[in-house]
Amino acid sequence: MESLIEELKAKIITGFNLEGVTAADINPDEPIFGTGLELDSIDALELVAILEQDYGIVILERSVADKAFASLRALAEFVVANRT
Amino acid sequence: MSRRNPVITGSGIICAAGCGVAAVWESVRANRSGLGPLTLFSSPRYGNHLVGQVRDNVDKLAGNVRGSRSDKLSWIAAREALAAAGLESGSGKINPARAGVMLGATVGGMLGTEKLLARLLRENKHRFGALRFHECAGAADLCARKIGALGSVATISTACSAGAMAILAAAELIEQGEADLMLAGAGDSLSRLTLNGFGSLLLLDPNGCRPFDAQRAGISLGEGAAMLIIEAEATALARGATILARLAGWGASCDAFHATAPRPDGSGALAAMQRALHCGQLQPGEIDFVWAHGTATPDNDAMETRALKQLFGGRPPPVASVKRFFGHTLAASGPIKAVLAAQSLRQQAVPGTPGFEFADAALGLQPVKEFRPQPLSRVLSNSFGFGGNNVALVFERADSRPTMSVPGHSSVIRTCGVNSPGSAAMAALLPPEQTRSKGFAVLGIGAVSAVGSSLAQIAAAFSNGRPATSPFPVPLISPAAQAQVYACGEFGADQFIEPAKRRKLSRLQQMALVAARNSLSFGPAAVAPEKVCVAIGTGLGSLNDTAAFVENMILKNERVPRPSLFVNSLHNSLASQIAIELGFSGLNSTPVQREISFETALWQAATELASGRADFALAGAADELNPHHLAAGMRWGWWRDSSPEIRPFAGALKNRERPPPGEGATVVALGRAQTSLSPLAYASAIRIGRSEQQNARAEARWIAQTLERDGIPVGSVDLLLTGANGLTESDDFYRSIAGGLSRLAGRTIACGAYKHACGEHHSASAFGFLTAAALVRGEIAPEHCTMDKTTSPPACRTVVLFAFSPTGTKGMCCVRA
Repeated sequence: MESLIEELKAKIITGFNLEGVTAADINPDEPIFGTGLELDSIDALELVAILEQDYGIVILERSVADKAFASLRALAEFVVANRT
Repeated sequence: MSRRNPVITGSGIICAAGCGVAAVWESVRANRSGLGPLTLFSSPRYGNHLVGQVRDNVDKLAGNVRGSRSDKLSWIAAREALAAAGLESGSGKINPARAGVMLGATVGGMLGTEKLLARLLRENKHRFGALRFHECAGAADLCARKIGALGSVATISTACSAGAMAILAAAELIEQGEADLMLAGAGDSLSRLTLNGFGSLLLLDPNGCRPFDAQRAGISLGEGAAMLIIEAEATALARGATILARLAGWGASCDAFHATAPRPDGSGALAAMQRALHCGQLQPGEIDFVWAHGTATPDNDAMETRALKQLFGGRPPPVASVKRFFGHTLAASGPIKAVLAAQSLRQQAVPGTPGFEFADAALGLQPVKEFRPQPLSRVLSNSFGFGGNNVALVFERADSRPTMSVPGHSSVIRTCGVNSPGSAAMAALLPPEQTRSKGFAVLGIGAVSAVGSSLAQIAAAFSNGRPATSPFPVPLISPAAQAQVYACGEFGADQFIEPAKRRKLSRLQQMALVAARNSLSFGPAAVAPEKVCVAIGTGLGSLNDTAAFVENMILKNERVPRPSLFVNSLHNSLASQIAIELGFSGLNSTPVQREISFETALWQAATELASGRADFALAGAADELNPHHLAAGMRWGWWRDSSPEIRPFAGALKNRERPPPGEGATVVALGRAQTSLSPLAYASAIRIGRSEQQNARAEARWIAQTLERDGIPVGSVDLLLTGANGLTESDDFYRSIAGGLSRLAGRTIACGAYKHACGEHHSASAFGFLTAAALVRGEIAPEHCTMDKTTSPPACRTVVLFAFSPTGTKGMCCVRA
C-alpha cells in the first residue's frame, strides 16, 4: 500500500506539472483536492483519466470519484480494489 | 423620438422535441421528452446514453444549403422565424441596411472536423475540405447571406449562454438604433467533442437528465437551433407586424470564479438576473415564472436555486427546467427557451419539468412538474455558461405596455442601453459630459506578437523592416514540411502567470492573459470589479488543445478523455480566464466572427462603457498557429515551405498562394474619455457590418457615414489602416477604399497595412489597433505602414482601422491622438 501511495504521488506530481512539489509535501491522509496543493476539480478529473490510463479503472460517475479522492490512502485502496 | 423597444415578431425552432414552434410546444404540452438513443455517430464510451438528437432529416429540411450540421439547424430555425414574421425571402419587407444577424455558437462544424481528423489519423487520408465549415461563424454568415442583411452580423461563443448573449447583443443593437431588425439565436449540433468533453467532466447522466431532482446526476446532451426576429417596436408596428412578446430586460455577469464550476453561492447568476430586472425597470415581484437554466448537474441546480431564492426573497415564482424535452443544446439552449417563453406568454401556460421526481431537501425547491395554464405577464429565462458567463433575459406579454408612443410615458425609456458607441443620434438624451466627441480613452494596450510583446519592440520592428517569419514544422502531411509563419515564440508567460495557474492554461489562454496584464500596466485606479467588461474575440480558439482532445479521443477510441483539454477548447475560456485571474465580473464575452472577432469585442466593450454598465473594459482578440490548419493550407497550395514574407502593396503572391499565417494576442484597456488617467489615444466610430460584395466605393461611404455620425470630419483622417497582405486583389480593394475616402474628404488619405509585422490571422486587426495607436502617438512612422515614403503623410493624428472578412462581415473604428 505504501509503495502504491508513493507511486500515486509521483503520478500526481508529474501528471500535473507540480513544479517545486516533492512527494514529502503530500500528506496521504489529507483530501487530495481543495488543499494546499492547489489542485481543483478539473485536476480531479485529470486524475480520473490517469487512473484509466494506468490502472484500467473507468470512472463515469462523480459520486465514485468524490469517494475515491477523499485522500491519497483512500485512492490507493480504491486502486487496489478496482484495478484490472 | 422613435420607440426603440425590442419586440419579438417571429420565432423558429428545431430540436429533439420537434421541428417547428407548434410541434415543440405540443411536446411541451404533452410533457413528452424527445430524448432517445444516439444514432448520429457511434460512441464506444457514451453510445448508451440518452441524447437529444434531432430525428428529422436535417440535410433535407435545410434544402439547398451548404454548411455544417449546426449551420443547417440554424438556417431551418431562421427560415421558420422569418416566415412567422412575414418576412419570407423575396417578400421585400426587409431593409437590408437596417437588418443584422447576431448568433451564438459553440460547436460550429466540429462534427465534420472530427470525421476529417479520424480519416487523417486512421487512414492517412488528407481531406481537409470540411474545414471550410469548421468555424462557429458559419451559421451567422449563412443566415446573413440568405436574408441579405447588411447591418451588424456577428457570432458570440460564451459556451452554454452564447445564444442568450447573442439575443442580448441584438437587443442592444436595436436599442442603439444600429438596426431595426435582427435575427438572433443559436444552433449547435451534437458532436463527439462535446459528448466526450462533458463525459470527461463526469457531467453526463446516461439515463436522461433529472433537473432539480434529489438524484440528479448530470445533463443529457442535445442539439438544435432556435431563432428570434427582434425588431424595434416602432418599425415593427409600422410594417404591420404582429408582436409575439417583448424583450423587456437583459443582463449579463461573470462569475470570475472557475473554468467549469459555478460560483457556489449563486452570486454571479443573481447579478445577471438583477441586471436584467434593472434594465427593464422591474421588481422581482413582477416576474411570474422562471425558465431555469436547470441543467440537472448537482452544482448548477444548487447554485441556481440559491440565486433564485435570494432574488425573490426566499419565495420564487413557479420555476421549471425544460432540459429533458430536448437535452442541453448548449448555445441554443437560451434561444430555445426564449422561443418557448414567447409562446408561453401567448398561450398563458407554463411547462413542466420532465425528469424531476423527488424534491431535493437540500434545495427546498419544488419545480413545476406538469404543463398547466397560468396567467403570465413577465417571465425570466436564465442561461449560464462555463467560465461563469451568465445571461438573464426577461420576456413580457405583447399587450402589457401601451403599443403606441405616449409622450411623457417614462416606462418606455429604459436604462439598460442608453447610448450607442457608434451613434450620436441619441446624444440628446444624455448629460452633456457624456456626448462623445472623443469616444473612449485607450488607457493601455498589451500584446503578444511575432515581433515582440512591448510597444517599443513592436515599433522597432516596423522601423527596421526585417521580416518576422520563422519556419514551423508541419508533420501531418507527407512529406513532412515546414511553413514560414509569424510565430510568437517565448512571450514571458512565466513572468506573468504563477506556475500553479499556468500549468492548466492553453498556450493561447496564456497569450491572452499576458496581453491583458500588459494592457493594465498603466495601473488603473480602484475599479469596482462588477463594472469591468471583458470581451476577447478569437477566430479559432485554442486550436492546439482542441485538436489534442479530438486526436486523443480518436486514437484511444474514446478511452481516457482529457477534461482540461476540453475545457480549454471552449472559445470563451479566453475571456473568462482573464476575468477569473483579474476578478472582473462585468459582461464577459468571446466573439468568434472570423476576421472581425476583435471589432465585435470592441463593439461589446464600447456598448458596456457607453451604457454606464461598465466603467472600464478590456477588448481584444487572440489566435494561435496549429499544424492541422497549416497542413490544410499547404495541401490547398496556400502556403509553401518557402512562402515569401508579407509585403503589402507589392503584389508578390502568385496564383493560389496566401500570405503566411501568424498568431498573436492583443488586448486594449478602454475607459471613458473623461478620465484622470492619461490616455494613449482615443477610440471612436466603433461599428460592425456586412457587405454583399467587395465594393470599394460603398465601403468608403460606409466609413465616412460612420465617422460623420460620431462627429469626426472625414477630412481629418490621415490614414486608412487595413488588412492589406500582399495579395493583389486585397491590396487593390483596400487602396480603392482609401481612394474613395480621399474623394469624399477632398484630400489624400493614405492606405496602410500592419500584417507584414503580425502575419495573417483572424485576430490580426487587434494588432492593427495597436499599430493605429502607435501611429497616432508617433511611435511608428506612417511610411512603415504605407510602404511608400512618397505618398505617406508626415504624421498621423487620426487613423481609421478597417477590417473585412472573406464572408463580407466588416468592422471599423477610429483611433485619434
